[in-house]
Amino acid sequence: MSEHKCNCENPLVPGVVEVIDIKDETPDVKSFFVRSIGGGVPFDVMPGQLGMVSLLPVGEGMYSVSWQEEQEYLHFAIKRVGLMTNELHRIEVGHQLGVRGPYGNGFPVEECKGKDMLFIAGGIGLAPLRSFIKYCFKHRQDYGKIQIIYGSRSYADLCFKDELFEKWPQEKDTEVYITIDNPEEGWDGHVGFVPAYLEEINPAAAGKIAVVCGPPVMIKFVLQSLEKMGYTDEQVISTLEMRMKCGIGKCGRCNVGSQYICLDGPVFNLAQLKQLPPEW
Amino acid sequence: MPILSKSKIKDVLNQLSQNAELFVPLARGDESGFYSWNSYQEGSDRLMLDALNVLLPPKSIVFPQTERMYSFTGNGTTVEIKETFESPQPRIIFGLRACDAAAIACFDDVFLTMGFVDSFYQARRDNTTIVAHACYQPGANCFCEAMGVDPTEPVNADVIIRDTGDSYIWESKTDKGEKLSAALGALLENKEAKSPQLQPFKQQANYEGVAEKLKGMFEDPMWEELASTCQTCGICTYVCPSCYCFDIQVKSWGDEGYRFRCYDSCMYSEYTLMAGGHNPRSNEQERFRNRFLHKLQFFSERYGKPLCTGCGRCIVACPVGINIVQIINQVKEADTSVRA
Repeated sequence: MSEHKCNCENPLVPGVVEVIDIKDETPDVKSFFVRSIGGGVPFDVMPGQLGMVSLLPVGEGMYSVSWQEEQEYLHFAIKRVGLMTNELHRIEVGHQLGVRGPYGNGFPVEECKGKDMLFIAGGIGLAPLRSFIKYCFKHRQDYGKIQIIYGSRSYADLCFKDELFEKWPQEKDTEVYITIDNPEEGWDGHVGFVPAYLEEINPAAAGKIAVVCGPPVMIKFVLQSLEKMGYTDEQVISTLEMRMKCGIGKCGRCNVGSQYICLDGPVFNLAQLKQLPPEW
Repeated sequence: MPILSKSKIKDVLNQLSQNAELFVPLARGDESGFYSWNSYQEGSDRLMLDALNVLLPPKSIVFPQTERMYSFTGNGTTVEIKETFESPQPRIIFGLRACDAAAIACFDDVFLTMGFVDSFYQARRDNTTIVAHACYQPGANCFCEAMGVDPTEPVNADVIIRDTGDSYIWESKTDKGEKLSAALGALLENKEAKSPQLQPFKQQANYEGVAEKLKGMFEDPMWEELASTCQTCGICTYVCPSCYCFDIQVKSWGDEGYRFRCYDSCMYSEYTLMAGGHNPRSNEQERFRNRFLHKLQFFSERYGKPLCTGCGRCIVACPVGINIVQIINQVKEADTSVRA
C-alpha cells in the first residue's frame, strides 16, 4: 500500500480541532467549544447543520452544531448516552478532536424571515434549535415575535440555563416558557409536559412558524397539539435523528424512504414528513 | 470487424495484464468470482468466461470490502490525521455481464452524484477499464431485462465482447477501450462475424409500475408474511452487485490507528441502532421491507432506476428461498384497492 495525500477535498476525512472550553450544562450534557489548530473554525455552518465529531480512536458521532461564533469556535452540546459520548465527557480542555462537515440542509432561515417564531424543545432537543434561536437574535429585525417553550425532566436537566433564565427573556419581543416534568423543591415555575404547556400557552398560528425538537414521544404529541391549534403542515418544522456514518448520503443507513437524513435533512417541514414512510 | 479467437484467450489475458491488474471470472475451490489473472493457477482455477454469473460480483474492484480512509496518530493532546488510500493502479475487469456493469452504473450514481463526490471511489473508478460480455442466453435466475438492463448492450462498457461460438466479436466503445484494442494488436483478427440472437428469459419479472405502486404499500401485510422466513443473514446484500451500504470503523493500537470503511448490511439490527438504544428498524420485518423498498422504490425515486439489475444471485444464495422476482410479481399483482 502506498500512502499519499489526496489533492482533492475529501468530505470523509476530518480536520483537527482543539477543545478550547468545556462547560457542564446538565448532569449528562456538556458543551464543547472547538476551534481549528492555530485558530478559526474548521468550517462554516448554518443553523441546524451537522458536524461529525471524531474522538480518536474511540469513534465518530454526528451532532447538530449548537452555534458557530463567527470565526472563533463551533459549539457542540452533547449528551452522554453511549460509548463514545461517555469517553467524550471525560476529556479536558486542550484535547484535540477530528471534525468534518458541515452536513445536512439546516433550518430554512431565509423562508422564515418576517415570521413570528415559536420554538418548542424537550431535553437535549434544545441543542439544535439553539442555533436557530441565536440566529434570530443575531438578525433580530428579520424575525417577528419569538416564543420559546422548553421542558426537561427536572431543573438540573435544563440545558443553557444562563440563556434561558437571563439572556433570552431580555431579548426584544421574546417570551421564554420553561417547564419541568415533576414538582421539585425550590422550583416555582411551571410543572408538566411540553405538549400540555404548549396548549395552555396556545400561541396563535397566524403568521407563525413552529420549530420542534425533542424526544420522539414529545414530538409526536406536540405535532398533534399544533394541528389542533390550527397550524398547517407547512408551518411546522422538525429536525430528525438517525444513525449516521458518512454524512454525505452514501453509506445508506440514515434513510427514511428515499430521503437521507444526513443530506436531505435533518430539517423537514411536516408536509414533507408526511410524504415519508412513518419510520421517523 | 475485430475478432478475438477463443483459442488465443490466454494470450490476450496475458497481454492485457502487462499494463494493468486484470480481473477475470474464475472458479476457485468452492467459490467463483473475479480474481486477478496474475493469481491464476493452471489446473486448479477454471476460467469462467462462458458461465453467466460467477458467485461473487466484481463490485470489490471499484468498491473494496474494506478500505482505509485515513490514519491518525496522537492520544488527544496532539492529533495528526493523514488521508490514505491504496494507490489506484490501472485495472481491467474482463468478462463481466450487463447486470454487473449496470450495477457499477448504480454505484456511479451513489458515489459520484447528489452533491458530494466520494474521492476514494472516484479514484478507483477512473482507473478501471470495463470489458463487458454481452449475454444472449439468459440463465435460470436471470431477469435483467425486466429491470431495464439490456443484456446485449452492457452500459458503462469500454469494450463489449460478443460470443459467436469459437470467438468473440470485440467492439471498443470508448477511448479506454481503444487503448486495449491497440495493446492487443495482432491478437485481434479482422473478420466478418454475426452477433447471436437473444433467447427468451426463463424468469418473468414484471417490474413495470412497481416502484410507483409500492408507495402505497408500506403498511401492507404482505411484508410480514414475506419476511417471516428471513434469517437476516445478509448474504443477499453480500452477493448483490449493487448493494453498496457501508460502515465506518476504527482500528487502533497504542497512539495510532486508522479509520476504514467496510461493507455493511441493512439486514443487521446494528445498522440503524442509535446510541441510547433507539432503533427505527429494530425488527426483521422492518429491515426486510426497507431492503426491498430501497431496491425497488426508494432508489428509483432518487436516481430514476431500480437498485436491482436482475443478476439473480440473491435468489441462488438465500438459504430460505426468498425470491425477489416473486416479490416484484406479488407487488405487481396485489389488489391494493380492497385494503385502502
